[in-house]
Amino acid sequence: MSNPSLDDLLQQVARQDRAAFRAVYGQSAPKLMGVLLRMLGSRDEAEDVLQEVYIRVWRRAVQFDAARGQAMGWLIAIARNAALDRLRARPEARGMRRTNSSPDPDAPDPVAALPSHGPDAEGLLAARGEMARVIDCFGELEPDRASAVQGAYLMGLSYQDLADRYGVPINTIRTWLRRSLQRLRECLER
Amino acid sequence: MTDPTSTPPPDDDADLQAAEYVLGTLEASERDALRDRAMVDGARAARIRKWEARLAVFNDGYDEAPPPPDLLPRIEAALFPPSDPARARTQRGGFLTGWLGGALAAAALAAVLFVALAQFRPGPPPPVSLSAELAAEDTDLRLSARWDGAAGVLEVTRTAGDRPATQDYELWLIDATGVPQSLGLLRAEVTQLPVALAPGQVLAVSLEPEGGSPADAPTGPVLAVAELTEL
Repeated sequence: MSNPSLDDLLQQVARQDRAAFRAVYGQSAPKLMGVLLRMLGSRDEAEDVLQEVYIRVWRRAVQFDAARGQAMGWLIAIARNAALDRLRARPEARGMRRTNSSPDPDAPDPVAALPSHGPDAEGLLAARGEMARVIDCFGELEPDRASAVQGAYLMGLSYQDLADRYGVPINTIRTWLRRSLQRLRECLER
Repeated sequence: MTDPTSTPPPDDDADLQAAEYVLGTLEASERDALRDRAMVDGARAARIRKWEARLAVFNDGYDEAPPPPDLLPRIEAALFPPSDPARARTQRGGFLTGWLGGALAAAALAAVLFVALAQFRPGPPPPVSLSAELAAEDTDLRLSARWDGAAGVLEVTRTAGDRPATQDYELWLIDATGVPQSLGLLRAEVTQLPVALAPGQVLAVSLEPEGGSPADAPTGPVLAVAELTEL
């Protein structure tokens, strides 16, 4: 917890500080590797994409908004986008899926799996408060819908993947998820 | 909004698309289309950032996994090829290391000469000239920046890419503080800006609403970044 803040390090990377880049890598690579492994399901591919991700981090650090903070969230967003681009570009992107996409055994209760606080929350109380609100609002969704949203997010499932899993037409699943996202937004904005 | 069959507000679809983009459920063509639009539409980009913050509650669901031990050296080799003139900064990093690096190298090569030079140096070092090449990752925009230290003028030439019809490219300077300062808009093919610069500072160009960023920092996507190095 007393490491130099990832927020500060990213600002240093923005002015092309290579020592800070190494430090950012040291603090974040295991997490991003975990993200990519979970989404891509293959260690070789995850390693390949992790390299791409840190090249983007070096080039885009200037886009990190220190006032907004949440450096780990910013890094995870880059990793998830890289993984999603890779997943959607796969020839079997429709229908045939990787082997680990059978019903997720370790996500029975999405709300229970949500953190009460994040170890990477950068100590920002305001962000904690916002997190707690999001968790509460997720708690208002039906469990199967919350589970679908969480599965899509964590594993990078497409609408087609979700339709296959839940055995419903793709338009139905899309309507489900859009409605869930709308309800989440309404809850957060009230 | 309580009746799902009622007509949603006009921006509702854009906001839900941003949510789906972050959730990751869109197919490749939809993802690409939305990303392209967000590149030139600050409001869309802001919606995406907002959903990223909301859905970040799931991030603790990702376990950590050890990356391969040789990955960082591979990344550094890709980012900082040995021919890179800035290589001398690899270990030290930070501001003004260009000056320091030069001084240390000189000392190592010819300590006596270094001392002699230091004794005879009449005053501050002569002004240097700096350059930076800015190449956008996602568009064909290419900018070539040259700073004449004697005149104190930065000349930025757009060597490729068109100026967007209803937006502006804005140039930013990032110094040791890490806080971007606007140097101005790049509307003409060649723009001259009076400014004091130093090696190791960084130039960045962002895409902004017409007239430039309404804030003190880039609000649109940062298209390219490059460090100023001595000519």
